[in-house]
Amino acid sequence: MLCSAWYIRGVPAPPGLGYLGRRTILPPPPPPSTEAHRIASPDSRDNRLLDALPAAVWERWKPHLEIVPLRLGQVLYESGTTLSHVYFPTTTIVSLLYVTENGESAEISIVGNEGIVGISLFMGGESTTSRAVVQSAGQAIRLKAQILKDEFNQSGPVLHLLLRYTQALITQMSQTAVCNRHHTLDQQLCRWLLLSLDRLQGLDLVMTQELMANMLGVRREGVTESASKLQRAGLIRYTRGHISVLDRAGLERRTCECYAAVKKEYARLLPEEVAT
Amino acid sequence: MTQTQVKRLAGQSLGNQVLAAVPAKHYGRLNELEPVTLKFGQILYEAGGIIRYVYFPLDCLISLLTAVDKRRTLEVGMVGKEGMTGMPFILGMGVSGVRALVQGAGRALRMRAAPFRLEFDRNQPLRQALFRYTYALMAQISQTAACNRFHEAEARLARWLLMTRERVASDEFPLTHEFLAHMLGLRREGITEAASALKRRGLIDYRRGKIQILDAKGLKAAACSCYQIVKTVYDRIQR
Repeated sequence: MLCSAWYIRGVPAPPGLGYLGRRTILPPPPPPSTEAHRIASPDSRDNRLLDALPAAVWERWKPHLEIVPLRLGQVLYESGTTLSHVYFPTTTIVSLLYVTENGESAEISIVGNEGIVGISLFMGGESTTSRAVVQSAGQAIRLKAQILKDEFNQSGPVLHLLLRYTQALITQMSQTAVCNRHHTLDQQLCRWLLLSLDRLQGLDLVMTQELMANMLGVRREGVTESASKLQRAGLIRYTRGHISVLDRAGLERRTCECYAAVKKEYARLLPEEVAT
Repeated sequence: MTQTQVKRLAGQSLGNQVLAAVPAKHYGRLNELEPVTLKFGQILYEAGGIIRYVYFPLDCLISLLTAVDKRRTLEVGMVGKEGMTGMPFILGMGVSGVRALVQGAGRALRMRAAPFRLEFDRNQPLRQALFRYTYALMAQISQTAACNRFHEAEARLARWLLMTRERVASDEFPLTHEFLAHMLGLRREGITEAASALKRRGLIDYRRGKIQILDAKGLKAAACSCYQIVKTVYDRIQR
């Protein structure tokens, strides 16, 4: 896939971007509404949080929901910006990345069809502390921020659902903090692959080496090295950003306990899987 | 405790900032809050354990620890008077994913979790104060995740000492290298090395289980950028 245009090294920062600008150039904003389309059928709720909404809320939200296609590498929001929309992934995977002053980045958490992107919005922060990047192209359902905020402030089932999701996310962040300190790079790559597969259909992932490097917080060579290790062990097939998982059980054996810890907490807190 | 007592305690400069953000007329139902003194090393709840009380630190300091390999631990967050321990109960379903350990002895206000949850549901200003705090806590944990990926022991130690200093409001506090090793996820030798470096630079002194900060300004320069980034988020939610 020819998506690495989003990340151009060595270009000086546009004014106002400060520490973010040195290694990446921001792509244009998310697609305009002409590319999106309203939810057609009442049953298109391929996201666990949306699926758990009471019928009355779903009916209220339906006119305001749009299905949007998200491109690999697309930035949904930058840290420090205010959000206009929240996103409920259906077939896409979004990474919440932390970006340092030098422009290095590392993934803090992953969001797929179990969750929502834009949680800071209703935590009263108004702006976000991480950057949200599309790690696997696909679709999401998008909702205007204000609608969510109004619902959230009403202290009903939506509030409680989103709070439980927040707790799950905090657990994932905490586990990442641990993982980054104590575990090896290929264990982290295994964990990430498994968390992604849990949120997608099938065993294939299309990414770019650049995105993987940004996610793991290493240079491209580090990505090649880790991926090669997993390939040599017969766990994946890897060619320049295209990953096929060959032995999922093997990945689970090789990864650190962080994968199981996060998975268990998500299972405990969040509603049942959407029936496919 | 009477309403006046609650108000006085929470409103003082040593008071808790989440409670202080609740307007006086909403205080009445928080009368179950009781003052407690927490001891160094006391465990408020275990990972996987039920949360029976929520705590609002006044001048004590709580560490949030995750278990690694069932043996080692790592601190993922710190809670002082700016916050509350027991967030998992409010957000989730009553069980904590982390261990909450008293790292700095001192006073706190505590309340039984179940009645607090009821109050949370009906008290809008309290909810909003807690959400702002949750936002800051998430920022702190995210920062720690990134810090653990990118930054070196000395800079991480400097940051950690500064964060502790702010929350216990003192330049001196009890601490062993062993304890620090658990907090920062380093081997004890790594801590000794990092602490020696800071000592050589005249920034701290330490002997026999006590650490003293000699030069806070110098320590800020030695800390990684994570320190200032998180501080800015916390300052912003105070309004």
